[in-house]
Amino acid sequence: MPKNWKPEDKSIDQATQEMIKKAEKENIETIWDRLEAQQPQCGYGQLGICCKNCFQGPCRIDPFGDGPKKGVCGATADTIVARNLARMIAAGAAAHSDHGRHVVIAMYEAIEHGAPYPIKDEKKLKSVAKKLGIAVDNREIKEIAKDVIKKAFEDFGKQDDSIINFADAYANDKRKQTWKDAGVAPRNIDREVVEIMHRTTMGVDHDTVSLIAQGIKASLGDGWGGSLIATEFQDILFGTPQIGKREANLGVLKEDYVNIVVHGHEPVLSEKIIEAAQDPELIELAKKYGAKGINAVGMCCTGLELLVRHGTPIAGNYLQQELAIVTGAVEAMVVDVQCIMPSLVDVARCFHTKIIDTSSLATFPGATHIKFDERKADEIAKEIVRTAVENFSNREKNKVQIPKGKSEAIGGFSVEATLEALGGSLQPLEDAIKSGTIRGIVGIVGCNNVKVKHNYNHITLTNELIKNDILIIGTGCWATACAEYGIFLPEYAKNAGDGLRTICESLGIPPALNMGSCVDCSRMLVLADLMARDLGVDISDLPLAGSATEAMTEKAVSIGTYFVASGIFTHLGTTPPVLGSQEVVKVLTENAFDIVGGAFYVEPDPVKAAKTLTEYIEKKRKALGI
Amino acid sequence: MKAVLIFPERCIGCKHCELSCAIAHSQTKSLFSMFSEKIISKPRIHVEVGEDLLTFPNKCRHCNPAPCIEICPTNAIVRDESTEFVLVEYSKCITCGMCAIACPFGIITFDKTPNVMTNRSVNLKCDNCIERVEEGKEPACVEACKTNALVFGEINNLIGKKRKNITKTVTKSPDEAEEFELPENIKLWRSMLKHEAHSNKN
Repeated sequence: MPKNWKPEDKSIDQATQEMIKKAEKENIETIWDRLEAQQPQCGYGQLGICCKNCFQGPCRIDPFGDGPKKGVCGATADTIVARNLARMIAAGAAAHSDHGRHVVIAMYEAIEHGAPYPIKDEKKLKSVAKKLGIAVDNREIKEIAKDVIKKAFEDFGKQDDSIINFADAYANDKRKQTWKDAGVAPRNIDREVVEIMHRTTMGVDHDTVSLIAQGIKASLGDGWGGSLIATEFQDILFGTPQIGKREANLGVLKEDYVNIVVHGHEPVLSEKIIEAAQDPELIELAKKYGAKGINAVGMCCTGLELLVRHGTPIAGNYLQQELAIVTGAVEAMVVDVQCIMPSLVDVARCFHTKIIDTSSLATFPGATHIKFDERKADEIAKEIVRTAVENFSNREKNKVQIPKGKSEAIGGFSVEATLEALGGSLQPLEDAIKSGTIRGIVGIVGCNNVKVKHNYNHITLTNELIKNDILIIGTGCWATACAEYGIFLPEYAKNAGDGLRTICESLGIPPALNMGSCVDCSRMLVLADLMARDLGVDISDLPLAGSATEAMTEKAVSIGTYFVASGIFTHLGTTPPVLGSQEVVKVLTENAFDIVGGAFYVEPDPVKAAKTLTEYIEKKRKALGI
Repeated sequence: MKAVLIFPERCIGCKHCELSCAIAHSQTKSLFSMFSEKIISKPRIHVEVGEDLLTFPNKCRHCNPAPCIEICPTNAIVRDESTEFVLVEYSKCITCGMCAIACPFGIITFDKTPNVMTNRSVNLKCDNCIERVEEGKEPACVEACKTNALVFGEINNLIGKKRKNITKTVTKSPDEAEEFELPENIKLWRSMLKHEAHSNKN
């Protein structure tokens, strides 16, 4: 069916445009078609003024002020918007934190029951243990690991009111005092999420400020708890990311190979799939089926986890997942959790591609179910790879079209790798900031949103900011966008302002640093915290800002909130469903400054946003007297 | 004469008018059972997207004179004497589509209805919920609309309100002149929508 939109209007990436055209030609429905079919999208939903938390409703508030001003129970627009926002944070924090829990469980299973996950990074384990106040000298690695696991499990389950172990260990005293004063220090990662569900159920909390405060608490449990735990435990189990060259975009798929795309968020299984894809027996089997070998690549955050640790190529970010299948060259797309479109099964039906769901949390009707179990990780991974290999003979050659587009990218800037690149401490970076060679740092967070031209906001904002000598660090779909655009190459520094360019050239780093998946936003917090400690100030005093420029998920709401609650001015390039309450908007964009030292700022135009973020950074510099 | 007047600037595209219309014209008149009826009721009002993602709830205007009445070769379209609503006698409709050609608003669609004994499609346009109106109720779409984008009443009274707004607008200084005073948050939301509509063309 001819569309009334052009692929060029939907993505700035040529490989993506090429696959959208292929999908159109072959009459395959994609996310852009479905957005069109959803128009008009409900205004109440977009404004956040519908409540369906009990079945006296759903209730809607008239945003014009003439119709109903209250829901059946009496809840106002302010209450409803604040409750809905808090629930979004709860869902986002839950997703990240459950991810973290799964990694802790994998390590627990390895230590207690012999699951095949040896500790790869003992140095990191010891450094995490030290931060948590666990003795490391003259102790067995296993014993240290057991104590670290215990501390993590406590954070998910302890019942006292003290701040969680990880936030206590990782955040500086000034920040912790701010949280204490505001009453938002997280007590237990799970509990803060549960408390949001309790507060927002029929007839509990009606107050916008206390609802938002609880949202902040849960988000801090995510940023300084669940997400941080996920990152640190993954580094311990799978290795801390190191700087190295990688490849990105749909062009990483290979015509004569068995292509396996590993998609989702949790690396506990995908790590094993990457291993299994290198199994000589399975490669031999692939050759028997007429392939040259096995090409395992990543997609979305699972892809980034593999990219930063193992240099695995990444086939794309969120909006490219259907298009990877549209190439006709994917034998299996292996999915775990989060950001996986249910439509993949439908797109796969047009080809020989098998969608293999692996998480006990996520079952896709129409997919092949090969559920994961940590203790049998190796066997299951091999079974998955074998399933893909055996599917190679079903590939229809005339349906294959892999776009040429792929870019090289440097990735893997963990805090540890960044420090190493800087010669062991943050001082060179801090000196450059103090002297004004670099004006400040902006952390950009992933997500694509189909309402935004794919990758356009990410790339435009990044380009605008580096021009102003602002160093960019970031994660998630933003990182994949930059990788695809060539921004993660040291030579891209020629597009930066003179100051940033000089620093990048002397260190051999790109002007924007890939810190990993969206759960790895915690790395940005750790970096900000280190800098605040070094300079003897709070995070909110630093010339830093954050941005989720194509924000889409509930996870992004949680990330944005913990950025703000960590004292960081945070830009959103898409509008969250809060505009139905001017009071909530005011709390988020103004009052939050007084409470936690950071606030939200919504601006869909990335050029204007870059200007505001730059001005904010200059204001912070002035206040610091630098 | 009573009519439904549309204030498109108040429409936020929730489509509740469509759903309520379908319910009102179903056999069981219930959201949850209507979808299991043999002929599933369809909305006769259509919310569609225009410029800048703005929406317009488009429905039969019950014109007088009505082009559809004038052109109908079988006299299947008639005007109800007491309400002046334009109605369709389904048994006389031959699905020729002349009414749809003549309709200036493009709101005439053809579909099956349980009200015709034969299994064929007929002109299923809006009947202004005449049954409900005769019971003293508002048309279902109007009742469903929580932003007053659809208002039912004496047409001249409704227009009078609009006239007052316009008077207000033209007497304001040019920089604050607006056809309809929108709340701040709605202005912001509309501007975001506008940006969204334009951002892909960058």
